Amino acid sequence: MIWDNLALAFAEIANLQTILLMISGVGVGLLAGSIPGFTIAMAVVLTLPFTFSMPPAQGLATMISVLVGGLSGGLMSGILTGIPGTPSSVATTFDGFPMARGGEPGFALGLGVWSSFCGGMISATMLVLFAPQLARIGLEFQPWDFFMLVIFALTVTASLAGANLVKGLIAGAMGLLARTVGEDEAVGVGRFDFGSDYLLSGFDFIAVLIGLFAFSQLLSDVRDPEAAKRSLTDRGGVRVRIEHRRAIRELLKRWTVVIRSALIGVFTGILPGAGGSIANILAYDQAKKASKEPEKFGEGHPEGIIAPETSNNAVEGGALTPLMALGIPGDVTAAIILGALLIHDIVPSPSFIAEEPVLAYSIFIAFFAANFIMLGMQTVMLRVFVLVTRIRMYMLAAVILGFASIGVFALNNVDDDMWTLFWFGLLGFGMRQLGFPLAPMILGVVLGNIAELNLSRALAIDTDLTLFVTRPWAMFFSIVAIFSAVFPWFQAARARGARWTGFYAPAMLTALTLPLSQMDGWFRPILAVAAFGLGCLLAWRAYGRAKTA
Amino acid sequence: MRMSLNRDSIAAILLLAACGGLAVASFDIREPDYGQLSPAAWPRLIVGILAFLSLIYLVQSLRQGPDEADPEAPRGLGALFAHWRNVIWCFVLFGAYLLAIPYVGMLVGGIVFVFALLTALGGLRAILLHAVIAIVTVGGMWLIFSYGLQVLLPRGEWTGF
Repeated sequence: MIWDNLALAFAEIANLQTILLMISGVGVGLLAGSIPGFTIAMAVVLTLPFTFSMPPAQGLATMISVLVGGLSGGLMSGILTGIPGTPSSVATTFDGFPMARGGEPGFALGLGVWSSFCGGMISATMLVLFAPQLARIGLEFQPWDFFMLVIFALTVTASLAGANLVKGLIAGAMGLLARTVGEDEAVGVGRFDFGSDYLLSGFDFIAVLIGLFAFSQLLSDVRDPEAAKRSLTDRGGVRVRIEHRRAIRELLKRWTVVIRSALIGVFTGILPGAGGSIANILAYDQAKKASKEPEKFGEGHPEGIIAPETSNNAVEGGALTPLMALGIPGDVTAAIILGALLIHDIVPSPSFIAEEPVLAYSIFIAFFAANFIMLGMQTVMLRVFVLVTRIRMYMLAAVILGFASIGVFALNNVDDDMWTLFWFGLLGFGMRQLGFPLAPMILGVVLGNIAELNLSRALAIDTDLTLFVTRPWAMFFSIVAIFSAVFPWFQAARARGARWTGFYAPAMLTALTLPLSQMDGWFRPILAVAAFGLGCLLAWRAYGRAKTA
Repeated sequence: MRMSLNRDSIAAILLLAACGGLAVASFDIREPDYGQLSPAAWPRLIVGILAFLSLIYLVQSLRQGPDEADPEAPRGLGALFAHWRNVIWCFVLFGAYLLAIPYVGMLVGGIVFVFALLTALGGLRAILLHAVIAIVTVGGMWLIFSYGLQVLLPRGEWTGF
């Protein structure tokens, strides 16, 4: 059965049209990723209108190709110009640019390209292995659990805003609120329509995403009139030959860095809202701490390129795992992929892989294939990148705004969607200026319906509200949500050396013992005992440290 | 403790006012006789949470005190316009483009919009290049969507295409 589905999925991807689309997608992604100010999410969301008339597998393969290309594109500008193309490749510049400036740009690019490839492949493998397992667990979830999972996802995303936790939570609530406008899905009653047909039909969430993310980003890019007229680089042609063999040898020599960084990437990706921008810094930091020559970091150390590039490419496999297994996207780009699935009337849920095996396997295959295409395309796109970097920012912004309007209209053939793009572009720009993170709002928009639907289902089954915190999985997500909400204070207090921070992890582990011990099977109760033991051990050590301090 | 308004407190007050308006509007939501969860319950819950968070935001912003004086911050209406010029151009031109679409269609409207925006942001020096970029990019997209993806893009009342 699995082989039949796999063969069918392979046929969906391995045809000339899809492969050509994937090659184009990777190329677009590589370019978008390499241009500072153009985020990967923007590239993926702008690809969406092109894919709606394609068969689902083909459309998703194209979008995944843009995503994989975008994840790798940032390294080109980071290494050659010192300006990271995306926030995911910030740490790559720390050693990539010095290495390139030191006369080894080909080696630096080779390390970046092959690290990206390894990160992508490891992450794709983990996606294939983990997603079905997680989906099996997801089948245990009842509406109460799903509702609390959404609350947890929003809280974690907001807590990543750090000191701006309140702004993050406000953004999340605004996203949920935006989704309530229009007809209620359950009973079809109009809400917040103020007598307007436009509001009664609700906001198309793809138009909202493009407005919030792409439109507002473009406005930020051209805000400064002088910077808008500047191109990324005025340097002449860069002639670089990527040193593949030497880079592969170096990677094999430093395989532990590759594995560790890939794991950091995957697990960061699984966390809702945490993406490549966090993973690359985290992996760089860990590589430096574990290195025998940390003093050479920042001067062109190979591990300083391998770690961030492996981790930022590994993120997406992690982010797609909860999407495919539970229907909950791990980051903004996964949220857009969810949008693409919804356009094709496919609602991801724990039964998605079982009910749509061909499509699920097509996503897996596309993820692997896109990484191979990316490897082959880097050399070609390096030349195009040099040309693109000479284009002025305002030219790209104007053209993309024009394209965004056409693309948004094409989604539903409705004029109103272009107004949605306009209003949410304005809102997103204002929020950016005030320091509001947009990721929680995007997740709020995407998850709003899921939350309401599950709340409604839960109350239809039982009106007892305590079930939202007493059922094992609901309790599990409630506890993690509370600890993630406290996380910004924990971080700030730890930096000040506050003693209570030593008890944060033990308290969380001990609290999680309660839901884990109530779950079915033998593994999770054993895990509960282990968590309790570890919590006690850490608490005892923290107490010892506090006493001696 | 010194308290004074800054841009965060203004944003918080606006959010609170919006919450108030939406809370009132939530009472206009029709209550059907069926279904366990009222269609107004979820929006009211979110508005309540948003209002509570906005209140915290307001208190936090008031405790911060006034915005730090930025020597490079624009002063006066002229400087303010110069500072936000590009953003204003983008919004005004995009809004005008959306309003013009029913009359001139997406092809002509799009070309004029991209050309006007390019010229507004980049100046008159490269006007010919701007025209070429606008025609090639919007024309190309229009062809791809109209003929490649079979999307019926808006036609203009005046132009007929």
